[in-house]
Order: sequence, then C-alpha cells, then structure tokens
Amino acid sequence: MAIIMFENGMFFALVGASLATALAGFGSAKGVGGAAQASMGVLSEDSSMFGKMLVLTLLPGTQGLYGFIVGFLILVNCGVLGGAVPTVAQGLAYLGASLAIGIGGMVSGFAQGRAAVSGIAMSAKDDRNFSKAMVSVTLVEIYALLAFIVSLLVVISVPALGI
Amino acid sequence: MKKVRIVALREDRKALLEHLQDSALIQIRKPDKSEKRFSNENVGAKVQVFERNVTLMEQALKILDTYSREKKGMLSAFAGRREVDPDEIGAIASKAGEVVKVCNAIVDLNKQIADNSAEQVRVKTSLAQLELWKNLDIPLNTADTKSTAVFIGTLPAMYNDSSLSEKLAAENPKLEFEFEIQQAENNMTCIVLFAPLSQKTMAEDVLRSLGFARPMSPTHKIPKVKAQRLWEKLEKLDKNSEEAKEKIIALADRREDIKVTQDYFRIRADKYNVINELEHTRHVFVINGYIPEEDCEKLQKLCDRVAPCWLEFEDAGDDAPVKLKNNRFARPAENILTMYAAPSREDIDPSPLLAFFFYFFFGMMFSDAGYGLLMVVAIGIVLKVFKPDERMRNNLKLFQYCGISTFFWGLIFGSIFGDAPASLYNLFTGSSITMKDILPWPTLDPQKDALMLMVISIAFGLVHILVGMGCKFYVCLRQKRYAEAFFDTGLWMLMLVGFAVLGVGMATSHTVLMIGAGIAIACAVGLVLTQGRSKKGFGKVIGGLASLYDVTGYISDLLSYSRLLALGLTTGVMAQVFNMLASMFGTSWLGIIFMVLILLIGHAINIGLNALGSYVHTMRLQYVEMFSKFYEGGGTEFEPFSLKSKYIKIKEEK
Repeated sequence: MAIIMFENGMFFALVGASLATALAGFGSAKGVGGAAQASMGVLSEDSSMFGKMLVLTLLPGTQGLYGFIVGFLILVNCGVLGGAVPTVAQGLAYLGASLAIGIGGMVSGFAQGRAAVSGIAMSAKDDRNFSKAMVSVTLVEIYALLAFIVSLLVVISVPALGI
Repeated sequence: MKKVRIVALREDRKALLEHLQDSALIQIRKPDKSEKRFSNENVGAKVQVFERNVTLMEQALKILDTYSREKKGMLSAFAGRREVDPDEIGAIASKAGEVVKVCNAIVDLNKQIADNSAEQVRVKTSLAQLELWKNLDIPLNTADTKSTAVFIGTLPAMYNDSSLSEKLAAENPKLEFEFEIQQAENNMTCIVLFAPLSQKTMAEDVLRSLGFARPMSPTHKIPKVKAQRLWEKLEKLDKNSEEAKEKIIALADRREDIKVTQDYFRIRADKYNVINELEHTRHVFVINGYIPEEDCEKLQKLCDRVAPCWLEFEDAGDDAPVKLKNNRFARPAENILTMYAAPSREDIDPSPLLAFFFYFFFGMMFSDAGYGLLMVVAIGIVLKVFKPDERMRNNLKLFQYCGISTFFWGLIFGSIFGDAPASLYNLFTGSSITMKDILPWPTLDPQKDALMLMVISIAFGLVHILVGMGCKFYVCLRQKRYAEAFFDTGLWMLMLVGFAVLGVGMATSHTVLMIGAGIAIACAVGLVLTQGRSKKGFGKVIGGLASLYDVTGYISDLLSYSRLLALGLTTGVMAQVFNMLASMFGTSWLGIIFMVLILLIGHAINIGLNALGSYVHTMRLQYVEMFSKFYEGGGTEFEPFSLKSKYIKIKEEK
C-alpha cells in the first residue's frame, strides 16, 4: 500500500487538489452563509433590495471558485483529466502550491463574510451606502487573489519542471 | 451652471410651472434670504391633500397586489414608464375624484376584512370558553331560587365526584350541598353547586378557599344555544370577508387608472411644493433656480412662449449643483461616478476616462467572445423592446459597451464560450484540437501564459494609475498649485515611469536598466528634497525621507491589478469545466440532451458569477486605485424640477 502510494506523485497531487477546493470552499461557504443570513433579515423588511443584497452576499463566494480552479488545473495537469502522471516531487509541489489558496482562501473567506455582513447592515440603513460597502468588502479579496496567483503560477509551471 | 431668476405675473404661475416641470430645465433654489417685500404663499394644506392621496393609492395598490397579484414578466423591471399624451392628463385629472373613491373603497374593504378577522379571533376565544360548559342545560348566570343558592364556576384543580365532596366536607362539615361536575380536566373542574339559601355565605367561604371562580362572561343563554349562535356569527364573518375579497378582486382592473392617477397627484404635489419656495408680491412671483449654461437659451424661448416674464442670469456660486455632460460613449459611466460621489467644483469630470477604463477592464476580466456577443445582443433586444427609462438605459448601455470589450478580449484570449468550439469538435470527431488550432489569429492563453498576462495586467495598472495621477497634475496646474503639481504628483509619476523602464531593462538590456534606475534615483532625491517643505528644521529631512515610504502604497496598488489576470482566468476555466462536463455523456441522443442542458445551465451560472465579479472588481479598481489619486467628490448633483413619476411620462411635444 505504502509503496503504491509513493510510486508516483498522484496521491499528493490529488490531496493538493482536494485541499485547495475544500478549504477555500469552506471559507466561502461560511462567508456566503453568514452574509445570506444577514441579507435575508434585510429582505424580510424590504424585498426590493434583493439585487443589492445578492451582490453583497455573493462577494465572499469567489474564494471557493479560486480554490476550485486550482484544484481543477491540478487534475488537468496530473493525469486525471489529461496530462502526464506526476513524479513524487511534482506531486508534493502540487500539494504545496494548493496550500496557498486553501488556507488563504479559507481565512479571507471568513473575513470577507464578516465584512459583507456589516456591509449589508450599512446598505440596509441607506441605499446610497451600497457602492461604498461593496468596495470596502472587495478590499479583503486582494489577499485571496494573491494566494490564488501564487498557487496558480506554481501549478501551471510544475509539468515543465524537471523534478 | 448659472443662477436664474424668473419674474412673472401671478396669473401665469400655473402655466409657467407646468411647462418648467415638463421641460426639466431648472433646479429650484431656495431664495438666499427672505426679503421683506416678498411674502411666501403657504400651500401646505394642498400639498398634504395630494400627498395623502398618493399614500392612499399606494395602499390601494398594495392591497390589490395581495388579493390579485399583478402578472409581470421576468424582464418587466427593465420596462420604461408608459408614454402619455399631454392631452390625456386632462382626462386623468377629471377622473381623479372617482379613482380616489375607488381607492377609498378598496382600503375600506380591506379594513373590513381585517376587522372581521379580529372579530373572528374574539368569537373563537368565547367559543373555547363555552366548550367547557357545553353539557350545561341552564344559563351560566342562573340566579338563586327561593330556597337554593346556585354557584356555577370553575375550581383550579381536577376533581371527581367523591374527591370533591370530601374536599368540601373537609372545609366545612356543616355545609349541605349538592353538585354536578360538568367537565374535569387538568388543573380545572367546572362545577354547578347548589346549597340552601340560608347557607349561602358559608358556601361562598368554602368555595373561595378552594379557589372558585365564576365564568368570565356569564350570559343568560344556555351555553349550547350560545355556542350555536357564535358558530353562525363566525360563518357570517367568513362570508363577509370572502365577499369583500371578491369586491377587491373585481376592482383589480382599475389598477392602471390608480397608477396613473397616483402619478398625477405626485406631480401636482411636487409642483405645489415648489410654490412654497417661491417669492410672491401681490401681482408677481419670482422663481429662483439653477440652470446649466447651455440650456439658458432654451429656457428663454420657453418662457417667451408661455407667458410674459423677465429673466435674469448670473454666475452661480461655489455651492451650485453639478450637471455632468458627456457624449454617448461616456454617459453610461456617469452612474458609476455618481455612485461614488458627484464631482466638486475643483474636480474635473472623469467620466470619459472612467468609461474607457471601465469597459476595458471589465472586458479583460470577463474575456469571452461568446459571452460578450450575448451581452451585446441581449441588451440590444431589451433596449428595443422595453424602451427603458434614462437611468436604466444608461446602466444597460454600460454593460453593452462592456460586452463589446468582452468580445474582443475573448478573441484575444481565444475563448468563445470557453473552449466550446474545440471541445464540441473533439467530441463528435474524436480528434483533439485546441482553440489555438481553430483560431487563425495568435491568441494569448491565460492558462499557459499566466506570467506574461500578469505582467501585462500590471502594465495596464501602471497606465491606469498614471492617468489618475495625470488628472491630479492637471487639476493642480489649473488651480495654480504648482508645487503640489510638480513635486507631489509629477515626481511620483516620473518615479513610476522610472521603475517601469527599470523593469523593461531587466528583461532586455543593461543600458535601459541603468536609465530606469537613474530616473528612479533622481526622483527619489527630488522627493526627499521637496516633500518636507511644509515642515520646519529637522522635520524637513524626516518628512522627505518618510515620503519615500509611500512607494509601498504604489506597489500594493499595482499588485492589485493582478486581479485582471485572476478573473480573466476564472471565466475561462469555469467555462472549460462546464464544456468538459457536457462532453462526458457521449454522442448518443440522451448524451446530446444532457450536453445541451449542462451547457445551458453551466454557462448561465458562469455568466452570472463572473459578470458580477468583473463588475465589482472593475469598480474597485476605479474607486480605490484610480479615484484615490485625484478625485475629491462631494459635489451635489443637478436635480431639475421635473416630472418625478413612477408609471407614466409625458410625451414630448414636437
């Protein structure tokens, strides 16, 4: 068993794909969930705010997407959906790369979710605050983006690495 | 912007105000300070009547909506206000009284329904109380007879015949009694007790010590009969409510009339509100207002046509409202600008720049030729079919321009519904081609050339930031704040250019690198020398050195543009994922049905998610990265005195 597991890097690559998708998705799910609860509170009072609430609710959702894309690109590269079976070192490289968006996406998802809840409360008080709330909430996202780009750059360059 | 004063005769007031409201040329301004020779006319009472009518109709419409929901199409939110002939207004006005009556009727009927259901609750409570006494065949308030005292009521515990007699005997052995238990349940026993009249007080004492209570609302009717009556009443109330409901539903076809009349009252309320702001003498009245410079002539003509009046224009002060005027290309971006803040008098109107970068960045993030084309066509159809109002039309136009940009970026990235053409071709022929093989022009694949694209993104970011700083430079020059223009903005701009040259040099030649480094160092020295200029003594040096720390801000601004790559990639990869899922079911009939379903749903999801992301992030790049460089905001928008209606608009006379 142990020998098969380490014969090539497939196992590590798949753990990496799972971690990227699951951790980032966890962050987004929690963020969007909290924001959705807050926005439903607002909507119960005034259902005409639905469009604006939807935007604010969906903002913490991008982390999950980034994680999913990294996971998907790993699958594309490592022989599940195409590409060549990775070596052990390459598999470990995928695993390492996925941690950036996994952890970065998860924590920024939590943080952005909390910001979105406050943004929802703010726009509920006054419609005109909406764009300010929206921009403030996106400020959090840059960190998920940076994590995503690091993961991405590693994942797409691994097949070409001679390790 | 100009200040305008219109003086006219009081008898022309109605006509003049109506024309001003229709034409939406001026914004009414409160007179600077009230002068003794003018008086205000108080029309508050009239305004109140109109506003009450507006509220009444709002209520009526809401009630109509609860009982017979208005059928609306999914896209009706785009629809503009209905156009109405100016002549029709007269007809609306003459019908207004009748419509108010209809609305009152609707509100009354609704109140009746509410009252009925409140009454029903009361009746049901009485019924629940009577339920305990349903076997009793004498009235609840049966009085004592000649020789017997009668007690009807409840005890707060559960007893049966023997336990109750024991209890009563234990309390007072002398008492003679006879009782009947009507109903016994948890914590409650309903009893009828008879005692000799001579022992009435004794019986009362005994019962009191057991916690006896008479029923809350004793009646002279036998409970069974009473219950029967209550049931009948309940039914009657039900029927009455049903009838009222039907009457309301029958009035649902008056909905259009109500809406139109509501607008009529809304417009009139606005007009009378303006009268409050006017200055009057016995024969003339004065309108104060703001008017955009280019409309002065139009106003002059309009006034000449309507009534004899005298106009006076003067330059507006600093607190004048701002009206943005842009060409067709930039106008849609005005909404984005005013969402942030209207420009102050010092600001330039950045709408054209904003528009260009908005379309450009949105396209780069959404980057799919198929989606772009879809946006352009769909919005084109909506614009044609629904004829939306100004604001909505501008919003839609914004996305249409974004769609064009999206289309071209899609072509550059080689993405048409992701890799749909290639993936479908592969599915049906079994070959394995990529988008690169299909498209005759060289493409830039964000997945393969991510690093390249990141550099390009940041380069665009640099241009964006430099344009923003250029605006600041221009604004400072215009206000003759030269030190600020050259030292605070110019040096930084040069420094950023120096870094850019340095970056290019790293990739190409040593000489270019040295030139870049030279520029950057020179600028840094310049900054150290100039940035502490407002401070004293030693602070001058510290201030200069500290200002260099701002470079971290510029670096984080520039890195922020890497989202152009990230979001562009997201759209492409998501589309690719759905294409892959769709082609997993093979080429059988069933497979093709699944394929079409997955493609439709998948791409719809992708469009929804990524269009939202692109919109939000483009906006952020404008607001945070660019506007922070130069834009002050804080002005007030020009809000002309106009027809602020919800459902109708007056057709313009040609």
